[in-house]
Amino acid sequence: MTCWSCHGAMAQGRPFCGACRKLQPVGPTEDYYSFFELPRQFALDPGQLEQRFRDLSRHLHPDRFARAEPRERRIALERATRLNDAYRALKDWRRRAAYLLKLAGQDLFGEGRTFHDPEFLEEQLEWREALALARADGDTTALGDIAARARASLAALEAECGRFFGEQDWSSESVWEISRRLSRARYYDNIIADAEPGTGW
Amino acid sequence: MGRAIGIDLGTTNSLVAHVDARNRPQVISAEEGTPLLPSAVHYGADGTVEVGASARRRAPERPVDTVLSVKRFMGRGPGDIRPEDRGISRFDESGSLVRLLVAGGRRAVTPVEVSAEVLRVLKRRAAEALGGPPGGCVITVPAYFDDAQRQATKDAGRLAGLDVLRLLNEPTAAALAYGLDKQVQGIFAVYDLGGGTFDVSILRLDHGVFEVLATGGDTHLGGDDLDRVVARRLMETGLTPPSAEPSPAVLRGALAMAQRVRETLTTEPAVEAEAELPEGHRLRARLTRDELEALIAPVIERTTGPCRRALKDAGLASVDGVVLVGGTTRTPAVRRHVKALFGKEPLFDLDPDTVVALGAAVQADALDRGGREDVLLLDVIPLSLGVEMMGGVVEKLILRNSTIPASASQAFTTYADGQTGMVIHVVQGERELAHDCRSLARFTLKGIPAMPAGVARVEITYAVDADGILQVAARELTTGLEQAILVKPTYGLGEEEVEAMLIESIEHAEADVTERFIREWRVEAERILAALKSAFELDGELLSTVERGGMEDRLDGLRGAMAGADYLAIKAWIETVDEATRVFAGRRMDKHVRAAMAGHRVEEFASEARTTRQDGE
Repeated sequence: MTCWSCHGAMAQGRPFCGACRKLQPVGPTEDYYSFFELPRQFALDPGQLEQRFRDLSRHLHPDRFARAEPRERRIALERATRLNDAYRALKDWRRRAAYLLKLAGQDLFGEGRTFHDPEFLEEQLEWREALALARADGDTTALGDIAARARASLAALEAECGRFFGEQDWSSESVWEISRRLSRARYYDNIIADAEPGTGW
Repeated sequence: MGRAIGIDLGTTNSLVAHVDARNRPQVISAEEGTPLLPSAVHYGADGTVEVGASARRRAPERPVDTVLSVKRFMGRGPGDIRPEDRGISRFDESGSLVRLLVAGGRRAVTPVEVSAEVLRVLKRRAAEALGGPPGGCVITVPAYFDDAQRQATKDAGRLAGLDVLRLLNEPTAAALAYGLDKQVQGIFAVYDLGGGTFDVSILRLDHGVFEVLATGGDTHLGGDDLDRVVARRLMETGLTPPSAEPSPAVLRGALAMAQRVRETLTTEPAVEAEAELPEGHRLRARLTRDELEALIAPVIERTTGPCRRALKDAGLASVDGVVLVGGTTRTPAVRRHVKALFGKEPLFDLDPDTVVALGAAVQADALDRGGREDVLLLDVIPLSLGVEMMGGVVEKLILRNSTIPASASQAFTTYADGQTGMVIHVVQGERELAHDCRSLARFTLKGIPAMPAGVARVEITYAVDADGILQVAARELTTGLEQAILVKPTYGLGEEEVEAMLIESIEHAEADVTERFIREWRVEAERILAALKSAFELDGELLSTVERGGMEDRLDGLRGAMAGADYLAIKAWIETVDEATRVFAGRRMDKHVRAAMAGHRVEEFASEARTTRQDGE
């Protein structure tokens, strides 16, 4: 790989040229994990992710390149965009799981596939009924309780996904199990959004 | 190069600031000693344009020819004009843009042009104070401004001959000024109630990192609305002779009086005043502070929803402190409301009228110097960006409160057999249906290969830059062909319109504008030369020697023009080169499509096309 500016040889995947310090375009081998120099796994330390995000942002943010030549300015915008996209994708466990599946070539979730999950849907109907009732009564205690229970269900789903990813098993069955949990998580997200006040548009 | 400046382009007042030699942000005052420039522009029937206090003084007698609060119309279409804003101005509604009829009906000006007049005065003021034309500039916008409103603000800056380095959200600018001056740390809410807009931002301030967690607001809520309810009451109770439908002149006079009454009641318990209004009317104002507070309570209450929503979006129940920004937060009732809402005594150590401009100056200075090691601003997009799907439902690509710059892609498919075009409707907002959101742009993607329904796949990519401004790209995935898309804004000025205005404007006479044109066209020419060089290297065999020679001749012509100082010549040569290379581009496309069909990778080609598009910044 050569630097676009000084044409010197440089290592792949480095944001800056070692010789002339110019910012380099995002390379084909870079993914969201390599941006942060983190191992490609589901479990990660949120504090570490945040710290690295800030450190990188300080160097890559377009604010640093407002007076750079147009090409470097464009590269900075592209890099900072990718960095923010990467941070968003890894910060949230649902997006992180979906991204790992995509990296593994198992993009079931991204295809917008719906899951045949009758048991779960029946359970959701009960949640929805309780939610509608609490909203109609303006019962904030009950609404808070519903949101708390939905959060607990999400935490359980996250832990289950963690176990499947930990086994490093990319059989279609385990991919399916993870995808189904991601699909279920969306229902709980919606319940939390509807249970908490002050969100009406 | 001149010194960098920060500009707060406000609904009621605007001001400019810079960072002085001792590294402290300072507002720049006019000769009269005040830094506030009323955002008022008067267009005389004789062609004169007045800006500022003198223009505002003309408002009661020449209400139609004096434009106030033009910020409310920035980036809006004729259909967006609210009845309460209609009362005073006259509009030309023949086009897709808002145009105000001024100068006795002889001129139709866009809000962008009116704002540019205000910016020009600030630019001149800065130039006089700093001893030369300013360099880079940061202009602040309400955090809740959508894409069209941001674009319009940027256009106004360009029209005023400013080198706009960045648009900065007003609450973020205020937080920057506070964070650096007062060394505050923790989670802060910035409550910014200005003349016409309301913003609330929740930020985390942590050792020089200013991270916006969430933002909310209302771009039609501010001191103007308080004045309006007060003026209505005053006219109901004290207008002689009474009038059910007051003329623009009377309305203007009543609004001006309402503003004075409201300001007086900030410090006094009651006010009694009388004023002569145009057309033989008199207005008598008798109001106590309690009465005023009862009148404005419903308006202030409208800020509650955005605050709660921002807190919730930030995932927080409380904050460590609240900062007050905007002249309207001087109103005691507003302060009490903020205290009740956040459970914290609000901070107003820094002047709420100037703090935004000070923050803008800090940011302008930092940008001009290639960033500051000790400061990192992470801002967000205020409203989700989506695309209209079949049935009018919105699919959101980038969610509100995403840190910018940001991007997102999504693949869509055709719904009819043999469909070769696709209409892409870009919208912004939180509502489920496209017609409830703001329409940003609508364009047709053509040239999709005819295939059965559902086979062709088109990938739409949204990219939001650090100003919060969106660019859209579309790519047909089965062939890998990327199309250069011209996104015509639904409400806003096209590139050509801005250029035409620039040429018309007085600024044209100034050398710096011409120079900027030359620079811009040189950059464009360099880009074309570089793109052609790599195209010749890759696909030079597609050209005969004669063809290649003809092209080189024209490239020489372009190089010659680049060395000169006539930007129109550079522009003309670029057009000539474009024309000459069209056949070559067609052959290259054929070649790469064949490569794609044969199963080869086309990333190389696509990435080249992508670079080309991003050049148009």
